[in-house]
This record gives sequence, C-alpha cells and structure tokens, in this order.
Amino acid sequence: MSKIKVIPCSGIGKVFGLLARESVLMVTQEKCPNDTETLCLAHVVTGDDEVVGKIKGETCITMDGCAKCCAKKSVEETGGIVVKSHKVPDFMKAHRGEEHGTGTYLTEDGWKYAEELAEILVEDVKEIKKGEN
Amino acid sequence: MIENKIGVISCSGEECLGGTISRLAVRKMMEELKPGMVSTLCLPLFIAGDGGEREFAEKYPTIAVDGCSKCCAKRAIEKYSNAVAGSVDVAEIIGEAKALEKPLSTRNLTDEHMEYVKQAADKTSQIFDEIVAKSV
Ligand code: SF4
Ligand code: SF4
Repeated sequence: MSKIKVIPCSGIGKVFGLLARESVLMVTQEKCPNDTETLCLAHVVTGDDEVVGKIKGETCITMDGCAKCCAKKSVEETGGIVVKSHKVPDFMKAHRGEEHGTGTYLTEDGWKYAEELAEILVEDVKEIKKGEN
Repeated sequence: MIENKIGVISCSGEECLGGTISRLAVRKMMEELKPGMVSTLCLPLFIAGDGGEREFAEKYPTIAVDGCSKCCAKRAIEKYSNAVAGSVDVAEIIGEAKALEKPLSTRNLTDEHMEYVKQAADKTSQIFDEIVAKSV
C-alpha cells in the first residue's frame, strides 16, 4: 500500500498558508511518517509525467489556506483522489482574537493552532487506514 | 520605472529543504529587501484561480525562485502565464545535495539555513535591481 499523500497549499501571502504547511510537515515528518508523505504542490502544478505518476489514483488529503482551495483543486486536476480536504480558516472559531504570525513565522498561538490542525489530519489518516484494513 | 511592479514567485516546495529556502527568500524580499516593491502570487492559483492570475507574468516582469533544479515555479509560470524575467535555483547556491535534504519546519531552522535564505534572497534582489536598471 502506498503512503497517503498529505498536501498543503503553502500559500505565500498570509499566515494561513504557513499554518497549512507546518501542520502537514508535523504529520508527514513526526506524527505519521510511516503512513504519509507529502509532494511539492508546485511540481503537481507543472503537470509533469513524473509527478502525475506519483499522484494519479492515489489517496490524498489536502490542507488549504483559504477558500480558493488550491491544493485540493490542483491535486484533483492531476488525478489524485482527495478523500479529505480542509481549509485552515474553517477551524478559526475557537481561535478568534489570537495572533498566529505571518507567512514567515508562527507565534506560540500559531504553533498551537498548527498542532491542532495536524491532529485533525492524523484523525483522517487513522480513519483512512481503518477503512483499508 | 517599473520598480513597484516586479513579481517574485517561489515554488515553496514541500518535499525538500530547497523549497523551504525558496519560500523564505521570497518572504525576505517582501519584508526586508524590497518592501512594497514586490508583487507575489500563490503559485497554485495558476490552476485554482479564476484565470486572472494567468496575466501575472504579462503584467509584471517576474522572477521565479525555485528550490531545486526541477525549477517548477519557473516552468509553471512559463506554462500558464509568460516567460520569466529572471530565475533563481536555490540548488545552484547551496548545492543540489543540500537542496534535496528533507524539508524543514520553520521552527527547526538553524543559522546555517538562515544564511542560505540570505544568499537566495540576495541573488533574487540582484536580479530585481538588474530588471529595474534595464527598465529605466
Ligand atoms: S488556497 Fe489560498 S492561501 Fe492557499 S495557495 Fe491558494 S490562494 Fe494561496
Ligand atoms: S523546484 Fe524542486 S523544491 Fe521546488 S517545487 Fe519543484 S521539485 Fe519541489
């Protein structure tokens, strides 16, 4: 079974893109390294045969920084099967009034939020793995 | 003068260190080296946006900042928008082997990594200045 692809948008302009990126790196490098991996979204955007081969028909989870859903749309466009997709602002309710940082760095509250987003992704991974067994 | 209309787009690659460096080099351009003079764009908007993004490199002379020799930002900009005015390949600055190391969270960046960011941003800034000089 190939690893689940977890792909953030890494949006450059605002903190939400960095939150998406950092939460995915937590999952692929620390929390579920054996079950997940990530791919360069910019490579996906090029539509290269090499990256299409890696993603086509594969189970993917996306984490986007805004409602434009760039990761979800780009992955789908390339043939990846997006079984779970999230947007960072969807989980903001409990974090209103907090300062999370910028597109360059996260504050302490930002790291807590990224951790929470990572746990949401971990739950997705567990659910997908349960369905596979 | 086209000084406040130069586009700088990074690949922000998630699979390797070069992508982390390219992203931070563009942020450094925006915040420290050329504040107010840089236009940027989330690269995947070329697919996910409403189409207006495809005019980006036609409207602005654009510099692509890529994390490795695959040069995804450069190729995506040229595929969807227009020829780039300049490009930076982080792997040419820090070496391909280093660029292909695993990606780093911003909380694990060392002084060595920040030096790579500085070098990539300085190179981008130099290209920026050359474009401005040509336009005068
Ligand atoms: S989803 Fe939003 S933040 Fe993320 S890359 Fe697209 S436009 Fe940028
Ligand atoms: S240029 Fe390299 S680091 Fe950047 S997105 Fe492409 S493969 Fe990833």
